[in-house]
Amino acid sequence: MVKSLVKKREFTIFMIVVVIAVVIAISNSVFLRPDNIIDVLKSNSVIGIMALGMLPVLISGGIDVSVSSTIALCAVISGKLLTISGANLFVVLIVSIAVGAAVGLANGLIISKLKISPIVATLGTMSIVLGAVLYWTNGEWITNLPEDFKSFGTATVAGIPIQVIIFIALIAVTALILKYTLVGRGVYAIGGSTSSAVRVGYNVDKIQTLIYVFTGMTVGLAAVVHTSIVQQVDPNTFTGLEMDVIACVVIGGASTMGGSGSVTGTVLGVLLMAIMKNGLILARIPTYWQDIVVGLIIVFAVSIDVLNRNREQEKLVRVDVEE
Amino acid sequence: MKKLLAILLAAVMVFSLAACAGGTDAGGSAAASASAEASAPAADASDTGEPASGAGDGDYKIAVVPKLIGIPYFTQTGDGAKAAGDEIGVEVTYTGPSKADAAEQVKMIEDLIAQGVDAIAVAPNDPAAVVPALEKAKNAGIVCLDWDAPVDNEKLIDASIHQIEDKEFAEHSIDMLVEAMGDSGDYAILTGSLSAPNQNLWIDYAKTYAAEKYPNLNLVTDPIPTEEKQQEAYSKTLDLVKAYPDLKGIVGYATVCPLGAAQAIREKGLQDQIAVVGTAVKEDAQEFIEDGSLDIAFLWNTQDLGALTVKVAKYLLDGNELSNDMVIDGFPDISVDGNVVYLGPPEDYTKDTYK
Amino acid sequence: MKAFKTLKEKYANELTLACIFIAVFIILGILAPDKFLTAYNLGSMMSQMPELGLLSLGMMAAILTGGMNLSICYIASLSGIFAAYVLSSDFAATNVGIGIAAAIGAAMLIAVITGLINGGVIAYIGVAAMLVTLGTMTLFQGIATNITQGGAISGFPEEFMALGGGNVFGIPVPMLIYIGAIIAAYLLLERSAWGSRVYMTGCNETAARFSGVNTKATVLKVYIFSSVMAAIGGLIMISRYNSARVDYGSSYLMMSISAVVLGGTSIMGGHGSVIGTVIAVGIIQIVTTGLNVLGINRYLIDIIIGAILIGVLAIRFLSRRLSDRNLVKARAAKVGAQ
Repeated sequence: MVKSLVKKREFTIFMIVVVIAVVIAISNSVFLRPDNIIDVLKSNSVIGIMALGMLPVLISGGIDVSVSSTIALCAVISGKLLTISGANLFVVLIVSIAVGAAVGLANGLIISKLKISPIVATLGTMSIVLGAVLYWTNGEWITNLPEDFKSFGTATVAGIPIQVIIFIALIAVTALILKYTLVGRGVYAIGGSTSSAVRVGYNVDKIQTLIYVFTGMTVGLAAVVHTSIVQQVDPNTFTGLEMDVIACVVIGGASTMGGSGSVTGTVLGVLLMAIMKNGLILARIPTYWQDIVVGLIIVFAVSIDVLNRNREQEKLVRVDVEE
Repeated sequence: MKKLLAILLAAVMVFSLAACAGGTDAGGSAAASASAEASAPAADASDTGEPASGAGDGDYKIAVVPKLIGIPYFTQTGDGAKAAGDEIGVEVTYTGPSKADAAEQVKMIEDLIAQGVDAIAVAPNDPAAVVPALEKAKNAGIVCLDWDAPVDNEKLIDASIHQIEDKEFAEHSIDMLVEAMGDSGDYAILTGSLSAPNQNLWIDYAKTYAAEKYPNLNLVTDPIPTEEKQQEAYSKTLDLVKAYPDLKGIVGYATVCPLGAAQAIREKGLQDQIAVVGTAVKEDAQEFIEDGSLDIAFLWNTQDLGALTVKVAKYLLDGNELSNDMVIDGFPDISVDGNVVYLGPPEDYTKDTYK
Repeated sequence: MKAFKTLKEKYANELTLACIFIAVFIILGILAPDKFLTAYNLGSMMSQMPELGLLSLGMMAAILTGGMNLSICYIASLSGIFAAYVLSSDFAATNVGIGIAAAIGAAMLIAVITGLINGGVIAYIGVAAMLVTLGTMTLFQGIATNITQGGAISGFPEEFMALGGGNVFGIPVPMLIYIGAIIAAYLLLERSAWGSRVYMTGCNETAARFSGVNTKATVLKVYIFSSVMAAIGGLIMISRYNSARVDYGSSYLMMSISAVVLGGTSIMGGHGSVIGTVIAVGIIQIVTTGLNVLGINRYLIDIIIGAILIGVLAIRFLSRRLSDRNLVKARAAKVGAQ
């Protein structure tokens, strides 16, 4: 049991998370206080939700850099709905997710039908969507959101903020989809080898499109969650977010070449990035050194992961030979 | 073949360059004809000639270049600039990079010179980076101004519009902090980014001033960068109050910082323990000031800054000289020092402001 | 005629791009002859293009091996910053010639070091390029911010300005450097033994390794090449902007990836040409400048660039499918005739 756990890909990253957490906790015991942990989870729920959406894309061998623009679009539309029409939360949520899904559908169709590589297609939609959002809003903030939406933002269930609960729920949903549905298994099949996925009988175009629709939907959800935390909409605040999201997923063991990646790994990736950001201030590391520390940890973490795997591989080969 | 194509490509560009060099005189002499795109009125009277001379009212094209577009601060300055343009009858182009990147800004200035504007007023992302581009503008006979932040070359600049004296503003921020938190205790600084020149300047002045005047104030750590994002300011503040439990005050030097900090303070219910002050746009600060999570916000009138820039540009284009007793419509409080025009003191926003 | 036909087939992509370039150029020329087609504007476009162009060439080499270099912009700014320290020293003020040479040397040294870090971890440890460069992007940015404390370094000797602002026979110096870099990149990537190893590695690394290619050394050199291109871009930037700072050129990252793929380089590696990238950079340059000169809203420019990116790739796909179909039809006709 323990052995199989150690062998799992996620183990390395798990250990790194533990080590960093211990180091931070030693330098400042506040780190392990429940209120700090809850704050960290709440602040990072948006990235976490988007990372879960990005995961199937990366497993399928694709990438979606347009998420930062899509979340801006969804947030602006949600904000306008809330302030202008005073729509209730449920409607806003549905609309935001639908808008996200529509952008995802466009991405998915461009990628699957026009066979344009995902990074190019989403680079294109990224600049089109953000351009459109800023042209429309001129970067104007949307403030004065209705009171009941604000109280939703600060709502808690058993002391846990609603945003964290949404994040946890999405973890479960994503895990179930990837593990138990036909489409979910198709995602891994496409990532492993598109041509063999076709041969096995998966409808690759359809699955690929659905993957991007799923990403879009999570982005729509993330937009509402973000707005509920920040309680205003700033269309410009999301630039560069795509890199943070992708970083979490790949650090969590998803390969950019496709075929591998897991919900556990992604959640660990999100946690690693989150505690680094939080911990560097708690550990009182001067700001001028923080980027250097983060960069070194990333390079170190991914290298250790690969080295470990290579050693495992060698061991397996040796066992084969000896037998 | 590929090499050939490359050479061909270069040759085409060089050829067209040479061909055009024969036609027009070098540099973007401001031929005021309307572009196919711009819906300019048929008022293109002057075809040739120096842009600064000749040409009556209504013909001037003034380009105002902010550090970046799409953030509330620069949207408001832009509104002010455009309104002033309508008021005094000049065509104002308000355009800038979509990221606060000096490289993109320089490119835009160079493109504006090609567009043939009469004056360029730039809020430089970097005081030195725009100098070569503005030299080109100067050579093309374009009036050069800076605003919001100074350009690192006084000879090049015909007028420099300062919202306020930097040192005075920095000291004001510390005085406000002391007013809100008392003159002793721990405080922290939030900034937009570690490489924002005027924020760095304010922070340097503020630190020195605080150390001299209020020796019991204690800055707990280096300035905390927030990527110019409210969400970052919010989560960094959450971390700060836990890392430094004795923290009594936070001062924020980018317009998003006090808002994010105030939000964190409100959420943690620390309004009475920790004072938050900083630069913020009046409308955005309102809700936080009203519930006490933000104590004092201060900023110059952003619309006025844009408007003053345009009006001074027009004043210079009309052939006037800057002087201490110059009169700019709607700005009785300005003061002039050499080629620097000061907008006037900042506005403080407190609970009383919104009553 | 036949020769032309094979040319057309072999360089179909480059020809399409060249046609787009010329078409856009003509359209903008007609729309704004007095602004776009001025000597000033053509000159300024030629001095603007090299920055993006050099970064794109560096990016292209990484993408050719199936990799990616997300740290490229910060390599440019980091090497620029080190060069700036040399240039603004007292020594450079008195010994201008040696000072400038030393500055260029410093930039190249940083390029080689950053290239070795990226390439070393990618090739010899075997971590995915995207991950490594994601980490080093933060790392290099952190180092640059740390040593400059976020400030700008300025005060260079007058002579150094020639690198970014000078003209030789009416052609801006940055353009001449860029042309030199294009020729060097062409010779190295498409005409040298190392170049063919790069393409082989990009196509299929395992196959390349089994056919005797030292893929590790090849990839290591790719990232050094990538860094060197970035450093040259960095030198031009600090000369053009008269100072060095950590965030110079940070908006070029996504643009350089766009330019490379627009130029026909496959993101999976193994395919792509230097000239394709060069023309793509040219297209992006004239579109952005042209629309700026016309006074089009900045955001609309973003939308148009995005549309061009997707449009060109869609056309590329459709035309390829069309020619495949014709091929099948022709073959079927042949079979039928027999």
